Amino acid sequence: MSTWIAEAAAIFAKDWRSELRTRFALNTLGLFALTTLVVVSFALGPIGASPLAPAVLPAVLWIILLFAATAGLPRLFVAEEETHTATALRLTATPSALFCGKLAFGLTLIAAIELLTTPLFLILVQLRVDSPGLLVATLAIGGYGLATASTLVATMVAQARGKATLFAVLLFPVLVPLLIMAVALTRQAVAGEAAGVALTELLLYDASVTVASLMLFPAMWNP
Amino acid sequence: MNPPPTRLRFAGLHRRFGKLAVLAGVSGEAVSGQVLLVTGANGSGKSTLLRCLAGLLAPDAGEIELAEEGRPVAAGERRFRVGYLAPDLAFYEALTTLENLRFFARLRRVDPARAAALLDRVGLPHDRAAGALSSGMLQRLRWCWAVLHRPAVLLADEPFQNLDDPGCRVARELLDEQLERGLAVVANPAHLQLPRVASHVDLDR
Repeated sequence: MSTWIAEAAAIFAKDWRSELRTRFALNTLGLFALTTLVVVSFALGPIGASPLAPAVLPAVLWIILLFAATAGLPRLFVAEEETHTATALRLTATPSALFCGKLAFGLTLIAAIELLTTPLFLILVQLRVDSPGLLVATLAIGGYGLATASTLVATMVAQARGKATLFAVLLFPVLVPLLIMAVALTRQAVAGEAAGVALTELLLYDASVTVASLMLFPAMWNP
Repeated sequence: MNPPPTRLRFAGLHRRFGKLAVLAGVSGEAVSGQVLLVTGANGSGKSTLLRCLAGLLAPDAGEIELAEEGRPVAAGERRFRVGYLAPDLAFYEALTTLENLRFFARLRRVDPARAAALLDRVGLPHDRAAGALSSGMLQRLRWCWAVLHRPAVLLADEPFQNLDDPGCRVARELLDEQLERGLAVVANPAHLQLPRVASHVDLDR
């Protein structure tokens, strides 16, 4: 295993080891997702069969995922700054490996939230998905974009004051294109339509955010 | 004549925080086997100087040169070559002392077995969470972290604070070993009785 991959893997393993002992992000994300899900489900009821459902419910699903992510992912770098462990990391970790290790941790958190939220949401609102494969692909590609953009913005705000507000203000404009494409693709998955060009556009969004993150991260992380 | 294995030289360092000028034209130099002692009152800029030397803070003006075997080390690489020990250095509180050091050993590409050996050397338990360490034990862990990768340059900011007599003894042994392989810059409010102090930067002047 190359040393770069070993570094990223060490950061990923360290973050999960700390997380499993403190359960900070898991509890925050999980409770937020579940609470929102229950409220939405009780408010809307089993409306999956109504004509409006395929248009509205995909947007509701992605709003739940977005707010669950923004509740937990800023901690990725903020915790390192607040507990002063960032100094030791700056002196030891290769910036790109650090970013990828943190991104991998964020990705697994998002994946866990998607795995918890999506099936429950579909069951509670009784929404039928005609193309489950497209839904899984959309959740995977959209989740990756959500995690990458959140990790990048978490780096930006880590050393600032008013982190939570700044995180939301900076993150939402970056995520608007992703959310529009992800909602459109989820609608297509529900209706059983072919993915078309939207899937490629979502992949291009992910690629752009990844390249931008890897280019910007070293300058943002180091003085 | 062969160049010294390691040479650290800084000249005309300036650093401001807003309107406050913390460093104003600070210069110094040390080579392998030597200690450069930095003294000054609280707030005189000792920690800022060490953070600049470590590459954690960019000076507003001035030069910092680290050379190994006569070859200059790139500014971006400097942070990976130094050992840094400072009061604000913290560890992952949910992880044990051994898990913390092993994690950084993997990042430093050092044999993880050295982590356990260093903990034994300074008398720290392997299985105590970093968040449950006393201030003296935390200082011992900082020493382990700083010399984990056998750095050529040790930047030590108040390295003996909170240590009891046995802790001070082992810290001085580690400092002696550091001077066998490289140099050390030691910052302290008062003048310490240290071996091989070759130069002195007094930030109160």
